[in-house]
Amino acid sequence: MKFKAFLTDNGISLLEKRILPALDKMGKICHLYLTRDHAVFLHNLLNSDGVQSIAQFSQQSLFQDYRISSQNDDRIAFSIDLTLLHRALRSILTVQDFNHHRLQIKLVKKLPPHSTQPTPFLTFEAKGYKSAVVHDVPISKPLSRADLQELQLSLQNAQEMPATLVKAPELTSLQNFVDRMKHVGEVMGVSISKYGDLHLKISTSLIALGAEFRKLMVLGERADPVAEDRDLSAQTRNERAVQRGDAMTVDVSVKHFFKSLQCSLAKPDCAFYGIAQHGACLIVIFQFFIPGTRQTDKSISLHCRLPVLDPGSN
Amino acid sequence: MNSSAGAPDLICELDSVQGIVDALTSVRWKRHQDAVVELSEHGMVIIVEETSCVQAKVYLQRELFVKYDYGAQGRPRFGVSLGLFVDCLNTFSFPGRSTILEIRYPGPDMQLMLRAVDSPDACIYAEIRTRIPETISWDYNFEPAGSTPLTFTVKSAALKEAIDDLEWPGSSIQIKLQPVPPSVIFRGEGHGDLQIDFNSYANTDLLIAFTCDRPISHRYKYKFLRATTSNIPSSVIKDNRGSKLTIGRGGMLKVQHLVSVAKPTVPHTHVDSAGYQQPSRIAYIEFFVKPEVEEEDTADDS
Repeated sequence: MKFKAFLTDNGISLLEKRILPALDKMGKICHLYLTRDHAVFLHNLLNSDGVQSIAQFSQQSLFQDYRISSQNDDRIAFSIDLTLLHRALRSILTVQDFNHHRLQIKLVKKLPPHSTQPTPFLTFEAKGYKSAVVHDVPISKPLSRADLQELQLSLQNAQEMPATLVKAPELTSLQNFVDRMKHVGEVMGVSISKYGDLHLKISTSLIALGAEFRKLMVLGERADPVAEDRDLSAQTRNERAVQRGDAMTVDVSVKHFFKSLQCSLAKPDCAFYGIAQHGACLIVIFQFFIPGTRQTDKSISLHCRLPVLDPGSN
Repeated sequence: MNSSAGAPDLICELDSVQGIVDALTSVRWKRHQDAVVELSEHGMVIIVEETSCVQAKVYLQRELFVKYDYGAQGRPRFGVSLGLFVDCLNTFSFPGRSTILEIRYPGPDMQLMLRAVDSPDACIYAEIRTRIPETISWDYNFEPAGSTPLTFTVKSAALKEAIDDLEWPGSSIQIKLQPVPPSVIFRGEGHGDLQIDFNSYANTDLLIAFTCDRPISHRYKYKFLRATTSNIPSSVIKDNRGSKLTIGRGGMLKVQHLVSVAKPTVPHTHVDSAGYQQPSRIAYIEFFVKPEVEEEDTADDS
């Protein structure tokens, strides 16, 4: 089992400034899954509670001279502490003499001090003329063939796309709003309609607090808004759309919703919300453009899946 | 939807949600508090009290609203959870953006209805359940202690600092006013003694006004005294405002703060708004704190 590559400048800044701060908010520990073509950071894929997040990069977007081999179809996965990974990357950047040398990343097994058992590390190595800096980030034992198979399967299942996606309103203000909404209740109903409406609502025995965003861009299945609904209240309009089968509603945890919005730390160019088939989960897909264009950067993908709360449980 | 019969008691609009949040937060001294809201043609009064110890009132006069349509007979009153009301209002307050918030009462099910239309395609709304109000105790009726009021005005920041400092000595704080030399003394005794003097001559920058024709002294429970300043909004300190304290008949302490409810200053693009100066808009906050029952000198001021 071997993995060795050089991080590109672009890859370093992408990880250090955008991706790792965002993923760190999703949870300290994640799986890093490396294949011949991709590097994928996965949160909560093997345990179903909590927000699942999937950040996938083509290996070229992060690495140069990418070499990977394993007996498992050249696939390696392990869990890693993102805080340590982020810290290692940051600290090596402060000491590295950038102009001359590249930052190598590789999988090693070392004997830690006071131990007889060799343990696996992800090692960052920067060599300068006068000095070399090495950072070892401890990782879990690589996943077994069976576990890796399960991870691969979950990853495939997580690629399912909702029938309708609506473009989220501006993320910072949405985040700001949901942050304040958090104090009022714990469960949020999220409705998405084919007309391009996104309706968020917290409702308890004491209060109903909601926000309706209309005329958002729709991807996938769409429908024309019903003219007679125009002057109704947001709540009634939403109820009617659900009855008509033009909208779906799911209940999610406000905390989860807020957490997924923290992915905006990765500075995506926009985001889309959708509800999976049969209301299985709420999906938010972050979109990145190729810098300076309005074209989707296909080498990066980031999306979250929020578990739906059983209406009976609350 | 206007499904309730007839016009609502009140439809009003606000352009400074943050100012109202600040004003209401200043009377939020614990987590769960029930408030009574009283509506009238003059504005809105929010009353909070702790049984027979402290009562606070926030006066939101109709001048603070950009629109105030009052259609009720009498003075409708309803009970609401203060915390929920403030948290909910807070969701409508966006930093750096001015939103018009519409408040309407009652809704179809006697709710308090809030709505902000940010743009034609985005709307935030809330419906807060109201309760039949608990009766407000009237024994907070404040009467002057004599012909000359016993009162002083002190910088809000200094008052807050003094009360914060008095935390360690103990649970009971003595407030003493004396004409010669004109001064206000805060004294706490307990684990230790701490005395804070505001001298009218020495601290003219802190003690802004002072009237007192005879010495008077009363004790107040620290926790209720603290309630009067614990959540003073930062805008009050920033605006360098003063708080007025008056001791009334029976030692009842009245503490008054002024909270600015100005519209957030957002750079305007409209030409017609250039040169328009917003008149200063203030919400009045009043606290009434009952003195501790003192065995020996209750007749001090009668």
